[in-house]
Amino acid sequence: MRPLRTLLWLEWRRSGVWAVVLLSSLLFWAWGLHQVRFVDVGRQVAVRAGLLTVAAVVGALVLCLMVGRIRSETRHGQYQVLLLTPPSGYAHVLARFGFAAATAVVYYVIIGGLFWWTFARAGVGFDAEAAVELLLACPLYGVGLTVLPALAWTLLLMVFISAYRVSGPGWIPGTVMILGTPFALRWIVDGLVDVSYRLPPWRLLDSVGVAVETMPQDADAQIELLRASLLGVPQEPFWAMLALAAVMLLVAGRLWQEVEG
Amino acid sequence: MLAALDRVTKRYVRSEGVQELTLSFPAGEVVGVLGLNGGGKSTLLKLLAGLLFPTAGRVRVFDGAPRANRAQIVYLGESDALWPWMRPTDAARFMRGLHKDFDSARFAELAGALQVPNRKTRAMSKGERGRLRLAMALARSARLYLLDEPLAGIDLISREKILGSIVHEWHTDETILLSTHEVAEAEGLFDRVIYLREGRLALDARAEALREAGKSVVDVFREVLT
Amino acid sequence: MSLGWILDMGAGPIYLQIGHNVRRFVARGELAPGSRLPSARSLAETLEVNPNTVIHAYQDLERSGVIETRRGRGTFVCAQAPVEEMKRQMVQQAASVFVREVRGLGVARRESLRAVEEVWDAGGA
Repeated sequence: MRPLRTLLWLEWRRSGVWAVVLLSSLLFWAWGLHQVRFVDVGRQVAVRAGLLTVAAVVGALVLCLMVGRIRSETRHGQYQVLLLTPPSGYAHVLARFGFAAATAVVYYVIIGGLFWWTFARAGVGFDAEAAVELLLACPLYGVGLTVLPALAWTLLLMVFISAYRVSGPGWIPGTVMILGTPFALRWIVDGLVDVSYRLPPWRLLDSVGVAVETMPQDADAQIELLRASLLGVPQEPFWAMLALAAVMLLVAGRLWQEVEG
Repeated sequence: MLAALDRVTKRYVRSEGVQELTLSFPAGEVVGVLGLNGGGKSTLLKLLAGLLFPTAGRVRVFDGAPRANRAQIVYLGESDALWPWMRPTDAARFMRGLHKDFDSARFAELAGALQVPNRKTRAMSKGERGRLRLAMALARSARLYLLDEPLAGIDLISREKILGSIVHEWHTDETILLSTHEVAEAEGLFDRVIYLREGRLALDARAEALREAGKSVVDVFREVLT
Repeated sequence: MSLGWILDMGAGPIYLQIGHNVRRFVARGELAPGSRLPSARSLAETLEVNPNTVIHAYQDLERSGVIETRRGRGTFVCAQAPVEEMKRQMVQQAASVFVREVRGLGVARRESLRAVEEVWDAGGA
């Protein structure tokens, strides 16, 4: 009996197509980046950065949709089958989240790579350190700060709705959760802004900044923004959001065990 | 007592599931749970499986809560619940990885005996899916089997195979609760029959005792439930 | 076993019916003394009845000396099964059914016996 491995295998069989399509879509974005060569040179970096930002956001949405497909399982009775298996709710939640998180990491590392390509096309020369920053540090920071909590939130929402489905309208606690989230989010962001930069910030783009400064003069003024952001990114929000994601997963795991209120 | 219900009531939003049910099930019985639609058969089985919590009363399985003991319970629900991309080999892998008591060899044997085709479930007929799900269920070794309408909507030949497999796989210390509308076909299997009418216990009797009185389980069904 | 088991769920306890079936097979020579009966479980599977019921039937038959269980070998029809006695009983039973029927029709004894002879001579079943 190998619960976690089997549940991951199940996730792969269930959601593998989604993951493959998502990762393949990067080819589309790459092609889009390539097409930007027809835009006037001074604006190329900005347009490409914009495209990649869209790809990042779309990716996050698709990942949330992928992880949130508990509803269809509830409708077809497979959720019931899973509920009756011995592994704990934590194992089930971990497997779902783990698969989506792994896909996310791969996706955003590749986007980091596409950013690298964007700057390289604009004439920036990168050393190894800058490459690591762009390909690993930044994506992982972004993923930990935004995508992982979003995935955890989606999973929690779906488990919430499914857990209360049998005894009555499961959409009530789900709706409460959805309505409450913007308020909670604002409260969290306010709190994080207060608390940020107490710990030493991570200089995630130092080498990148140095490299960018050597860029030919026909680069866009948007690069000024990049230099401005080089005061480093705060640690606190990253850890806080990761902790929040962990808490949501724990609650989801606990909820999974429940079948009714 | 393997399982017991103590004055259990389960109320749904718009209907009563079961009312004031008190029942106990020792080891080694094959019990027929009979009744009309909406009479509480599925509710009873789901309560014992831990998929529902009682509104009132207590459900005890192996001296504890059903969900806590789910590793020793096999529940086969009515719905056709399998992932559409699963083949029998995938189903076996799923079961083997998640259930300690799953016997792959027995599953292969049962799937063969029940003639489960090696296709994805979306390409199987309802009868084939039913047989696959039964093979998955019977390849486990649990002490309590809860089979909710395993014969529903299944062709005659498959039904005979299913009943034969249930007899074949049953061990004397296991308890099976089987709800069905095919009372005539299945009645030979039952040691004991429970008739539920509108969520209440209408009759709880030993099948052979009914026959000593000259009535078949089907005859009593008509008497008690109409 | 291609024996013709006949079970009617409305005709009394199954274990008794199984017993009647076995006696019928033995009386008709379809199950010779010393021949092997299916195991309780496999018979239960064939008939789609509870194995306990078959066990009960076998126990009953064993008590009546029709069958015997040999440890580890299986269940067999007794070599000394009272075949003639069973035949006699069955003939009596068949006769009772016949007599009850014809009496119900108000037919006289002689006419009834003639009917039997006619059917017998015609080789009819």
